[in-house]
Amino acid sequence: MSLLEIEGLEAGYGAQAVLHGLNLTIGEGSFAALVGPNGHGKSTTLRAISGLLRARAGSIRFAGARIDRLRPDQIVAEGIIHVPQGDMLFPELTVIENLRLGAYLPKAAAEARTRLDEVFSLLPKLRERQDQVASTLSGGERRMVGIGRGLMAGGRLLMLDEPSLGLAPIVIDQIYEVVRHLAVSGRTILVVEENAMRIAELADRMHLMDNGRIAWDGLGSEFLSRPEIRAAYLGG
Amino acid sequence: MSAGRRDILLALGFAALLAMVPLVFGTRYIISQITLFFIWGIVVTQWNLVLGVAGIFSLAQMALFAIGAYATAMLAYYGAFPLLAAMPLAALVTVAASLLIGFACLRLKGAYVALLTLAVAQVIYLIVVNDTACFTNPPSGCLPLFGGVRGFSRFGDLGFRDLLGSKFYIGHYYVGLGLLLAAQIFCIILIRGPLGLAFRALRDNPGYAMSRGVGRLRYQLWVFGLSAFFTGLAGAFYAANFGVVGPIVFSVSMLLFLLAMIVVGGMGTVWGPLLGAALLMAADEGLREFGTLREIGLGLVLAIFVILLPRGLSGLRRR
Amino acid sequence: MEIFIQVIASGLTLGAMYAVSTIGLALVYSALNMLNMSQGALLAFGGYVCFYAMETLGLPAPVAMLAAMVVGGGLGLAIYLLVARPMLGSPMFETQIFIATIGIGSVLQSVVLQLFGPQPKAQPLNVPGGVSLGGVVVPWQSLLILTIALAMLAGVAWLLGRTRAGLAIRATAQNRDAAQLMGIRIGQVYAQVLMLSGALAALSGIMVSSLSGLLPTMGADPMLKAFVICVVAGLGNVPGAAIAALLLGLLEAIIQYLFGVQYAFAILLGLVIGVLIWRPYGLFGKRQVVRL
Repeated sequence: MSLLEIEGLEAGYGAQAVLHGLNLTIGEGSFAALVGPNGHGKSTTLRAISGLLRARAGSIRFAGARIDRLRPDQIVAEGIIHVPQGDMLFPELTVIENLRLGAYLPKAAAEARTRLDEVFSLLPKLRERQDQVASTLSGGERRMVGIGRGLMAGGRLLMLDEPSLGLAPIVIDQIYEVVRHLAVSGRTILVVEENAMRIAELADRMHLMDNGRIAWDGLGSEFLSRPEIRAAYLGG
Repeated sequence: MSAGRRDILLALGFAALLAMVPLVFGTRYIISQITLFFIWGIVVTQWNLVLGVAGIFSLAQMALFAIGAYATAMLAYYGAFPLLAAMPLAALVTVAASLLIGFACLRLKGAYVALLTLAVAQVIYLIVVNDTACFTNPPSGCLPLFGGVRGFSRFGDLGFRDLLGSKFYIGHYYVGLGLLLAAQIFCIILIRGPLGLAFRALRDNPGYAMSRGVGRLRYQLWVFGLSAFFTGLAGAFYAANFGVVGPIVFSVSMLLFLLAMIVVGGMGTVWGPLLGAALLMAADEGLREFGTLREIGLGLVLAIFVILLPRGLSGLRRR
Repeated sequence: MEIFIQVIASGLTLGAMYAVSTIGLALVYSALNMLNMSQGALLAFGGYVCFYAMETLGLPAPVAMLAAMVVGGGLGLAIYLLVARPMLGSPMFETQIFIATIGIGSVLQSVVLQLFGPQPKAQPLNVPGGVSLGGVVVPWQSLLILTIALAMLAGVAWLLGRTRAGLAIRATAQNRDAAQLMGIRIGQVYAQVLMLSGALAALSGIMVSSLSGLLPTMGADPMLKAFVICVVAGLGNVPGAAIAALLLGLLEAIIQYLFGVQYAFAILLGLVIGVLIWRPYGLFGKRQVVRL
């Protein structure tokens, strides 16, 4: 059964259109990856889904209901959790305050205590750092707070925007360890990644973006064996 | 024909038309009101350069105008300068003051600039009004250095009374027209010329423009200083025209009135501010008898235009 | 020693009074990037509502104060709904809202003038007498102002630091997009912040007018001072604004004592301009990356 269905989505910034009729379907319980080069609309897609950016045309359905006219807070309440690109933490709040904000809505707040334990067991470093102000953390730690904050919300669809962007290789391995754990947890996840080769090993389904549309989609295993994709990504 | 050339021809055409007005309508009231329009016209065209073109959110423009007016009055009163000499000197004093204010304020970001320039204007006002120590004692009574609450009067005139007798106001009319024409042509050259282009580049893509070495602060200081010259000159002419200078030139409602002209006409456009000045002065004539309601109307016009029509009337055409 | 106590007492009173209206301005700026130029008129409104409630309706002082704060909060909400909200998405928001609120401020001030006339009036909320401290008589009025202001500051600190709504306000101020992704309805946060700021302005107006009387234009100077304090603290820095308000109040009292009342504000502003040349982002402000 599909949880998220996007049809003919158009969106952009100012006069500039970024998405030109995007179609995308995410199945319940699947781990999907949205890949493709920079500037082709991967992050814009996530921003449109979470309502930060208004769709200009097309429709977005979540669990059968239209959400493309809802406010971002209503979309969060529907159960779509967006962990945005970069850190986008609240820089002057402590780690624990950032995490608590993840469970801001009443439904999530009721389960905050158990969720916090889960987050701390998945990301033990955050427990040590919990009273530290977010802006004093390292890049990798900040990224983990961002993911932890998303997990605090519960939700039915978790969207991660480039979780490993700009981190040192050893930190990327740590983040991928967390992503791998999430992949086997049975949640519905949509990850945006530039490093397609690495995410293809984990993802059930790959969606390749090109110029505001989905150019190809298929199984993760298929992705690696397609010659044109190998050519684009490995240069040979 | 380039847009700049067209606008300059347009300016000359308007000026020629306005030059004929005194020959047709003789009444002193109309002529003096249009003269006042020339004065406010100069102020708003220059303020528009600062606000809408250079992107400096300065509220010190009326203070600069006041400096021009006060400098003229003080040079003539204390220094016995003839007004024709005092006016350009006063304009230069204004430029100097604007550069000082500019150095202090322009390094800051938008909102800070607005607050700081407002504060500077207020300081100048307070210095003028709160100074009660007598500097001289003319027959009319104690006079503080900056004129105090009463301000300056009897500091000479432009000499048109001797030349034209009771028709002296027509002389003032042509001086005002000439100054406004010069100020507007300066605006056109600035907006349509390379400096205007540089500012548009800065506004549309600050990162790129800065990486190409378009130094924002330097350009801003140039615009601030040059527009202060005309603003100071407008203040000087205000002093000469009315023969009185008092702290009323600092008043908030004056500031509001002039800001509304720019917003209504269209900030950053070539003709918008003058259009706004003409419209608002005409409307003001109509509302004169309503007293406080005039202030309410003015405030509402300002707010409603910013909310519903942020590009002003000039923006309607482009939509 | 006596002079010292006098200067400290009047400086703290001034500072506490400034702090109340300044934190409102700082809160609004931090949440919305909005400089509310109608704050001065809200101050006057608050002062006059209190006057009207006590003098004409004969209500007791605490009720009158509450009424003034409710009216102030209501005006703040109206400003959000009618003025700020329609232009929220505009790229020129900061400039537009500044100009629009100048207009609204003028409207509100003229309404006060229309309703109550231009003659100065005395604020009936006034406690006579004083208490002797180290040989100096400190008026009860000053102590009352100080107490109410400090209570109010503590209340705001509690609200921001300890409540869910306060957490939402701080989150919105620090990162608007991220706040929305947490499920925070930022429109509601904006409305709350403007209401709170309006109520604080009204209270501040009552305090100011209890010392210097009621005039329709009475809000202009305190507003300018509040802005100056915000700028010194770094725009949008709420705790910094409270500290800077107390410091500037003390400084003003010292300058008043040394140079005379009429020059206090001018010298104060001169100092502030100096501070800003030295530290362009305020004393406690962090250098922010300009959003391109």
